[in-house]
Amino acid sequence: MTITPDSIQQAIIMGNVASISTAVNQLLSTGVNSQHILDEQLLPGMAIVGDRFKRNEMFLPQVLMSAQAMQTAIDILKPHLVGNSEARQRHTVIIGTVKGDMHDIGKNLVRIMLVGAGFDVIDLGVNVPAQKFLEATSQHQASIVCVSALLSSTMNNMKEVVQAFRSSSDLNGTKILIGGAPVSREFSQSIGADGYAPTAPAAVELVQGFCD
Amino acid sequence: MTGRDNVFSAINRIETTRVPIGEIGGGYTDVIIKAVLGENYDQGPDAYFLNHQRIRELLGADIVGARVLGPPVEILGIHDDWGTEIFKDFWGATYTQPPDATVQLVESIAQSPEALEAWRPPDVSRFDSSQVKRWKETTDFFVLATLNAGFDLGYELLGFERFMMWTIQARDTMKRYFEKLIETNLSLAIMSAKAGADAILIADDLAFNTGTFVDPEYLRADYFPILKNMVGEIKKQGVPVFFHSDGDLRTVIPDLIDCGIDVLQSCDPNANMDIPTLKAQYGKDLAFMGNIDVDLLANGDVKEVENTTRNLIRDARRGGGFILGTSNVVASYCQPENLIAMYKVAHRELK
Repeated sequence: MTITPDSIQQAIIMGNVASISTAVNQLLSTGVNSQHILDEQLLPGMAIVGDRFKRNEMFLPQVLMSAQAMQTAIDILKPHLVGNSEARQRHTVIIGTVKGDMHDIGKNLVRIMLVGAGFDVIDLGVNVPAQKFLEATSQHQASIVCVSALLSSTMNNMKEVVQAFRSSSDLNGTKILIGGAPVSREFSQSIGADGYAPTAPAAVELVQGFCD
Repeated sequence: MTGRDNVFSAINRIETTRVPIGEIGGGYTDVIIKAVLGENYDQGPDAYFLNHQRIRELLGADIVGARVLGPPVEILGIHDDWGTEIFKDFWGATYTQPPDATVQLVESIAQSPEALEAWRPPDVSRFDSSQVKRWKETTDFFVLATLNAGFDLGYELLGFERFMMWTIQARDTMKRYFEKLIETNLSLAIMSAKAGADAILIADDLAFNTGTFVDPEYLRADYFPILKNMVGEIKKQGVPVFFHSDGDLRTVIPDLIDCGIDVLQSCDPNANMDIPTLKAQYGKDLAFMGNIDVDLLANGDVKEVENTTRNLIRDARRGGGFILGTSNVVASYCQPENLIAMYKVAHRELK
């Protein structure tokens, strides 16, 4: 079987775990650089998935399947990226749903799409207090934090998270992105967050912008 | 004209002197009920019934939500992280409720498609319909009995991501899963109708604010035919059927009409579900309920709530087919004065 960039992209778009696994292993065995596989073949595939999802041409189940295929490929590549002189620095993103809020559909979708976009993502789950966001950011040397809330009542806890980072001498430069149904750009500005994303693809674009 | 008559008129596209108003499900959380009723808040053994009756009478609501109740939950232990009780409900999933937070799934009903094939829904003979009967026999409210179908309940019992993946990976199993859930909920619907419910509300979230979770074509192939059968069987009992889903449903409204749905509830303005616009397009075949943003009741002021409610009534009332309410339920974080303002406007805005 000949592996082409197109076939890898198709395997990502179709969420075909078996094909992606074979293709990535085959490319590595023929000496193709791991960073090249990631940048030129996998990420463009996931970008197509994100774009189609945004246009309602792909739906959640298909996106989840693609994300699973992407994760499989990244797991295979990871040992090869370590020590690779051509490897770019990978950014780590901390994500969680704010304290008091147990909703995770939107947060999980952002996590999945961030992984698909090549980020290392640490998911703290739901009902996360501000202190836990701080600890995880410090522990994983992350520079970006995504905070989600679904309820009007819990979105005010986002302010607590932002304040905790701003008053930390080590972490006050951390970029904080917020999202969730009741959240708005105005609210984001009022609490001093660095960005607001109304949808998962918009969150990925903002996070990518923070890294440029 | 009673609240019940008023709602029936709306369903039948008859314009009434006053637009009917109400909420689905429990409607108002206990925090809100306490705040609105003040010293009239009852704390006795019959508090649930009395408080829900009183708040509706005080606000002038036409609708009460009710449901047939399942057997009590089984306590299994204590959650390691949160120290709260883990409980198993009659569907077989286990949950916990962390402090100051909503209920969280701990373990789903199946970890594999094979286990889901083997899963059996609960025995409906253990359900109790006396709450529905009591509302019907002792009040003039329109009794809207709430239950689920196969989609929303399906992912609540399985876990959202697993459910979504299996719609592709185990499509036949999922179809049989929908059939099992819907067969059980249909039995509960018939039980509710026999107990006196004026209508059945199927609560079944299919979408988020940007569209349906899954491809509408998938719903058309694997889900709506089963839902259509459920709605048809319920209507044989002589009751209309309401359908609740959050989110942007515009791509599937014709399908819901085809399923036989009479009233579409939620109609969240944040999801582009504007009732006057939807009525112009589908008002011949479907009535609508909701459209007041819960966040407006939480974060807006009385003036804003009055203006929004007044404008909505003006734009949506013509020809009936409209029931005023929030786009979800009145959450704990809503401002009581905003809730009262919304209901006052509904009662003031006469023809």
